[in-house]
Amino acid sequence: MAIIEVKNLCKSFRIPSVKRETIREHFFSAFARTGYEELRVLDDISFEVARGETVGIVGRNGSGKSTLLRILAQIYQPDRGTVAVHAPITPILELGAGWNGELTAEDNILLTGTAMGLSLKELKSGLHEILAFAELERFANLELKHYSRGMSSRLAYSIAFQSVREILVLDEIFAVGDAAFNAKCQARYRELTAAGRTVIIVGHDLNTINDFCDRALLLEGGHIVLNDEPRRVIEAYLEMLGAA
Amino acid sequence: MIQRSARPAPLRDFVWTLIRTDFKARYHGAASGFVWALFKPVAMFVVLLSVFSFLFRDQTYLFNLMIGLFLWDFFSEGTRVGLESLFQKGFLITAAPFPRAVLVVTSIANALLTMTVFVVAILIVLSVTRGVPSPVAIALFLLYLVLYVVIVIGFSLGASVLFLKYRDLNQVWEVILQAGFFVAPIIYPLSILPEHLHKYLYLWPVTPVIQFSRQVLVEGKLPTFKAHCLLFAVTAVTFLAGYTLYRRYAPRAVERL
Repeated sequence: MAIIEVKNLCKSFRIPSVKRETIREHFFSAFARTGYEELRVLDDISFEVARGETVGIVGRNGSGKSTLLRILAQIYQPDRGTVAVHAPITPILELGAGWNGELTAEDNILLTGTAMGLSLKELKSGLHEILAFAELERFANLELKHYSRGMSSRLAYSIAFQSVREILVLDEIFAVGDAAFNAKCQARYRELTAAGRTVIIVGHDLNTINDFCDRALLLEGGHIVLNDEPRRVIEAYLEMLGAA
Repeated sequence: MIQRSARPAPLRDFVWTLIRTDFKARYHGAASGFVWALFKPVAMFVVLLSVFSFLFRDQTYLFNLMIGLFLWDFFSEGTRVGLESLFQKGFLITAAPFPRAVLVVTSIANALLTMTVFVVAILIVLSVTRGVPSPVAIALFLLYLVLYVVIVIGFSLGASVLFLKYRDLNQVWEVILQAGFFVAPIIYPLSILPEHLHKYLYLWPVTPVIQFSRQVLVEGKLPTFKAHCLLFAVTAVTFLAGYTLYRRYAPRAVERL
């Protein structure tokens, strides 16, 4: 049974020729002619993901991968088409983003965790585990603004990894940390898939896609040009890069 | 692995965590920080009182100033924070698809807490110096405060999405607040202005709330039925306008972060 169903999904962004973001700019250019360009990021995308499946998404920069993930995570709204997600979804979209620098790691975990739909009870019982996974137990009471980029990224992964209910959506997986942390992520990740969780990964690291995914999508210019087993998709992708 | 229930937790835990962490970040996690933050409005009160009590030689000036100033503080603080709420909490918007209005509504919690402290202080001072206000007066006062909070929430809903579109809206609002401090009869009694101007001043939502509160608490008079209708109308219009803007722009707010 499909846990995610995407039908005829379209998404465009308007890129104004002159960006006006303030009242002052609107005021002083009230009579200026402005145009905008409509950038169609996703054009008529349809696919399904079955429960327990791991799907990789590859494509060049600007092919719409990240936008697609954000729509799946219900953070962006589609312009047209339907996206049905039949289970709770946990996104890790931007690394290092998502913190209040004035708060300690512990408070940030509680804040982000509850935003993702975990209860305080669940989080408090798992707090130690989240910090341990990120190798940050010693820094639990340090404000996030004093964290290095690597530390905050590890924390982001740790929270999301620990809070997956049913579907995990990841952008640029395993891009942080040292070899040991990566190995831990991969182990945790295998646990999740073994437990029947559904995972969608966007990645530039083709080895990851090849090793972990049951299936892959190749995106180009907002279209799905190939929806097949990872090996074939990677071949097509490399060919596309070579031809370009 | 964390033990997880099958369903997402109710919004309650998220709301509570937002309020708690806001408080912590603002007051450095300590009650002493909160008490420290109360000094600013109190100092302002003392300064204004010492200057203007020479000008307005009225027995009730102290009470009127107290009500006016502390209610104003809630409005200026609440709208300021509310306007920037979605922008400030943008990092959560990109993390999960919860209802965005939660961020706006909870952002005024600190201002509300401060106002609660001052409201209690006002009632204590009034009770000690002039006798306990009647239950009707207190009930009406609380009703005005509820409407006041609705006004601030309505404004914040609309302003928070517009701020993502117009990034200098906070500066514009700052100027409006400065003017608004003098438009509302906070440091002066409304009676010093010509009668025919009053109806315009009442359109600035702060004015009816402050004036009605003074009438019931200090003067012991009930505002007329018509006056109450006006306050309800101002509240409804502000809230609906803000809510409409919010409904229109909130779904795509994240794209402007």
